[in-house]
Amino acid sequence: MTNNRLAIDVGGTFVDFVALDESTGEIQIDKAPSSGLLEERFFEGIDSLDLDLTALRNIIHGSTLVINTIVQERGARIGLITTKGFRDVLELGRGNREEIYNLFYTPPPPLIERYLRLEVSERLDARGEVVTPLDEGEARAAIRQLKAERVEGIAVVFLHSYINPAHEERMRALAQAEYPQAAVTISSEVCREWREFERASTTVLNVYAKPKLARYLASLQNELQRRKFAGSLSIMQSSGGITSLSAAQAGPIRTTVSGPAGGVIGVAALGTRLGEANLVAADVGGTTFDVALVSQGQPLERNEHRINRRPVLQPTIDIVSIGAGGGSIAWLDEAKGLRIGPQSVEAEPGPACYGLGGALATVTDAQLILGYLDPDYYLGERMRLSRALAATAIDENVAKPLGMDLRAAAAGIMHLANMNMAYAIRNITIERGHDPREFSLVCYGGGGGLFAGFLLDELEAASAIIPLNPATFSAWGLLNADYREDYSRTFLKPFADVSVEQLKRELDSLESDVRERFTETGIAPSQTMTQFHAAMRYLGQEHTVKAPILAADFADELRPLRQRLDALHERAYALALPESAAEIVSLQVTMLGVTAKPRIKPMSAQPPGEPLKGNRAIHIRDFGSRLVAPVLRRECLAAGSEVPGPAIIEEWTSTILTLPGQAATVDEYGNLIIKRVDQ
Amino acid sequence: MSQVDPITTQVIRNALKAAADEMMISLIKTAHNPLIYEVQDFGLALTNDRGEMLAEGSGLPGFMGCLGPTVQSGLRALGRAGFREGDILLANEPYETGTHISDTAVYMPIFFDGELVAFSALMAHWADIGGKTPGGWCPDTTDIHQEGLIFFHDKLYEAGALNQTFQRFILNNVRFPELVHGDLNAMIAACRTGAKRYIALCKRYGAGVLRQAMERVFDQSEALMRAKISEIPDGAYSASVMMDHDGVELDKPYRLAVTVCVRGDEMHVDWTGTASTVKGPTNHPFVGTEALAQTVLKSLTMPFDPMNHGHLRPLTVAAPDNTAVSPLYPAATDSYGYVGEMIIHLIVKALAQAIPERCPACSYQMFGGAIYRMDPRHGEPFIYIDPLAGGAGAFPHADGPSGLIFVGDGNAPNTPTEVIEGRYPLRVLRHTFNLKGAGKGKFRGGFGVTREYQMLEDNILIQTMNENTIETPWGLYGGEDAGVSQLTAWTGTEREQTIRGRVYFYGPFNKGDIITQSSAGGGGWGDPNERDPALIEYDRRNGLLTPED
Repeated sequence: MTNNRLAIDVGGTFVDFVALDESTGEIQIDKAPSSGLLEERFFEGIDSLDLDLTALRNIIHGSTLVINTIVQERGARIGLITTKGFRDVLELGRGNREEIYNLFYTPPPPLIERYLRLEVSERLDARGEVVTPLDEGEARAAIRQLKAERVEGIAVVFLHSYINPAHEERMRALAQAEYPQAAVTISSEVCREWREFERASTTVLNVYAKPKLARYLASLQNELQRRKFAGSLSIMQSSGGITSLSAAQAGPIRTTVSGPAGGVIGVAALGTRLGEANLVAADVGGTTFDVALVSQGQPLERNEHRINRRPVLQPTIDIVSIGAGGGSIAWLDEAKGLRIGPQSVEAEPGPACYGLGGALATVTDAQLILGYLDPDYYLGERMRLSRALAATAIDENVAKPLGMDLRAAAAGIMHLANMNMAYAIRNITIERGHDPREFSLVCYGGGGGLFAGFLLDELEAASAIIPLNPATFSAWGLLNADYREDYSRTFLKPFADVSVEQLKRELDSLESDVRERFTETGIAPSQTMTQFHAAMRYLGQEHTVKAPILAADFADELRPLRQRLDALHERAYALALPESAAEIVSLQVTMLGVTAKPRIKPMSAQPPGEPLKGNRAIHIRDFGSRLVAPVLRRECLAAGSEVPGPAIIEEWTSTILTLPGQAATVDEYGNLIIKRVDQ
Repeated sequence: MSQVDPITTQVIRNALKAAADEMMISLIKTAHNPLIYEVQDFGLALTNDRGEMLAEGSGLPGFMGCLGPTVQSGLRALGRAGFREGDILLANEPYETGTHISDTAVYMPIFFDGELVAFSALMAHWADIGGKTPGGWCPDTTDIHQEGLIFFHDKLYEAGALNQTFQRFILNNVRFPELVHGDLNAMIAACRTGAKRYIALCKRYGAGVLRQAMERVFDQSEALMRAKISEIPDGAYSASVMMDHDGVELDKPYRLAVTVCVRGDEMHVDWTGTASTVKGPTNHPFVGTEALAQTVLKSLTMPFDPMNHGHLRPLTVAAPDNTAVSPLYPAATDSYGYVGEMIIHLIVKALAQAIPERCPACSYQMFGGAIYRMDPRHGEPFIYIDPLAGGAGAFPHADGPSGLIFVGDGNAPNTPTEVIEGRYPLRVLRHTFNLKGAGKGKFRGGFGVTREYQMLEDNILIQTMNENTIETPWGLYGGEDAGVSQLTAWTGTEREQTIRGRVYFYGPFNKGDIITQSSAGGGGWGDPNERDPALIEYDRRNGLLTPED
């Protein structure tokens, strides 16, 4: 078997394939539309890359199947079993009104109707001690009732199971005995944190997606076996680590943002190589703009996120997504204010300039009018764009109603789209206690290159980096992921009551739990790395800060750890209370199975071909009259070359624009690094 | 100078909204008091130099509309020349700022090139304001001086210099000085963030362009609002309700009455017919009464549009002097929220005669309370505050949502059972729908909530809030009215008591004692006989029908 690896990233519009030959660092890429049956797209891509499956060591798959199942509400018919007195918690939620001016505000409806939510007698207290034992007669009756209702899956959520899962585990055993065909998830197996509604929501979503993901992965595996693939198939998780097929099948909820996570892992890996520790990952796709931060070399994570307003408690890379991309629609609101997105055109007909019948003005149409895109070289000549159709769409929808000329309207669309993205980046950085000026932007996704120059100026960032093959960068990122398992547990003890030995004991027990899960990946123990974190807060607070637990913390009655709370709280909330009593709310262990990282092939000193393709008139708002920019072929730019702005740099599937006052240099691996000249 | 182009106008409008959002991030990140960073009991805005709102941040509805008038009150009191660069002012005199004394406004004038160009302002519930009841929300005061410290456009910072005596005086007169100090600093930081962003925009576009762009936005928003009002049939639409009592005169219900006049593209809201100022603290200051009318108008016409001064131009609000919705000094206002909640629902009820398709039936009203032990001799002190969610009024097109917090509390989430049991000596026995008390209809009101607590220790007291137990939340167009919210004490024992009023220092409850809180549902919408059989089948299947159905 060779060292070849393949990453497959399924996105909303495209499936991206990146094949890596680890002995040479050579990569091959391809893109296919993501419409139709995913299993078919998967193997079509493999066929088109002409890969020898028998020689592949590893396939890493980032999938949108779980998130789509949840967003489109096309999951399985399932039931829920809860502690007596609490079956309505799933529907009552937290009771808050997220839209304060909306008189018709309605929370998301529960995915399980009330008659399929059953209760059984059992009760633990907040210390995990049994108040009422599990009534096995009621438990069996509940399972039989759900079986009679022909549910495909059963979620089990008992109060305080985060601290003692015994009743839930017994319930799972009973369910497997009474109804072995059902997919069963108990809440303590998907997360060990308090807050019953959020835990129930996570558990229910997991069961909801389970049958569908299991069928999909089984069918991939069958076809791979038929084709004599003998390597491993790994699945990307929201945490940015990969996991085994069986773990993904048991825990689909771990994979919800697996695609975007690949890009962020790629950004962190790129940063390591470039010696840049603070980076903004800015992924511009056709419909969404995803932003995440890499700080001190580590992607920022969070423990909770939402899918269609439904909470999910899982370690997840902290990605903020807004509806902004090439396909975003430019429209006028009732007050005649120009808005960009959040709606975007469907993949078909697409932007007006595609000539497939679209009549709405999009960001892509504006970019074409402004001269940023070459109508004859879109997606590497796979598609021809119509300037006339773009002009009509912008004229009719924007320019005429606002009394502006076409170019000014197009420049306005681009400017507002750019500002929306800049605000998204500003908000995530300042909200997490950082200053955007201390970060470099890594712009990728098919559309990233056209926004990089604008965002660099607007945010006064350190630099903007466009990796090679930005359109398939997220797939490349998958190749950089390590195996990862997380385990967390609500601990809830004031510092005053925790001894060094007690904390050590607790972490040891967590580590042995996570190691057990890890054995099936086949990673040798010598290749694993363990990290511990504590979520801590001052007494009386609700929000926590998460800090790493280091070896040095097991001294001086845990004072170093207590001091880290002050330091991190200061960063996040501009406030430290060193005198205040504090508590440890939960403990988290992360085990990484370190994989070999792809080598990046340095560029050849003098790539063949002439970089200059020609000159084009372009229009940029804030730079007045028409500018003339050279159009360059990226693949012909040698390492070390420097391109003064404005310039257009084209490559297959992506175009980069630099502004006046900026200069782009090519590093030895082919990354394009844009800086302001006056820096 | 030529007119500002539409793109620049839109960029500036978005930039001001982003600046207000940044003020909010700054406030939430630096506040010490969970009422601010979790319940979001605040409002914030940028106004122009005349106190007209340019952009608002999120928070509680109603607060934002109070900030413009607060700044205008300051302009009246001090004059333009009375403001200097670097000033930070405090104001909470409720007749000028609109709510109750705990909601203290902090605002600052913004100068560019030596000229007053704008204000950044916010209002937040302080952890304490030195009144009769710790933390505010006095249930039984009869004049404002019992409610706490009054600020009337007083400068905490004068031209950038902190008045230390004033600050010390404030902190010496509140119960939780560290919390208050932290929140005050957070509010100041947020004001300064707003000022910084506004000044950056002045540098980029020029103060004149900013002014012109926002005038244009005001004009556009006004034109749009006029168009929206024109869609409402002309007429005078009235509604009224009897409130239970004012917290002091417990046997004396009082009336709130409103008439909404729609004429062409203008709307006028008149509170003639409302009872005189009441003796207890449930009066609602007129500035807030006006702000809530604006909130309702916006909610009915364009709930998702960022609000600015232009939206408000076509709306006028009036009330005779000295009523429960226009009290004068020294009326008590600390429990203003009961009336505030009803102001919103009453205007919707009046307009339901004109635009039924946009108006939900009435929701359950403010209910819940606190479970606490204050005296350390009786055990470790704690306080658990529990505003209970309830049923929302039915929509003209769907059943009302169940278990949503009352409108005035906005985006505040409940406390999970696992958190309650981890923190307090309480066990939650049930957290379920309350199937009683939702109004039937073609579309039924949302269900209220039942939450039952068992005490795990001795000497525990409770306080409750409740309203509209005499005239209950109404249905619309043949939909039934909702039931009442109530608390049962010592559930399942011979001492069992049903409590519909407001109690405080009630108890003591001892280990094993049970209390059951049940909030009302919402009113129904439309004739119950027209209910879709599929909905009836849904209710039947899910056990949502009561025995009498």
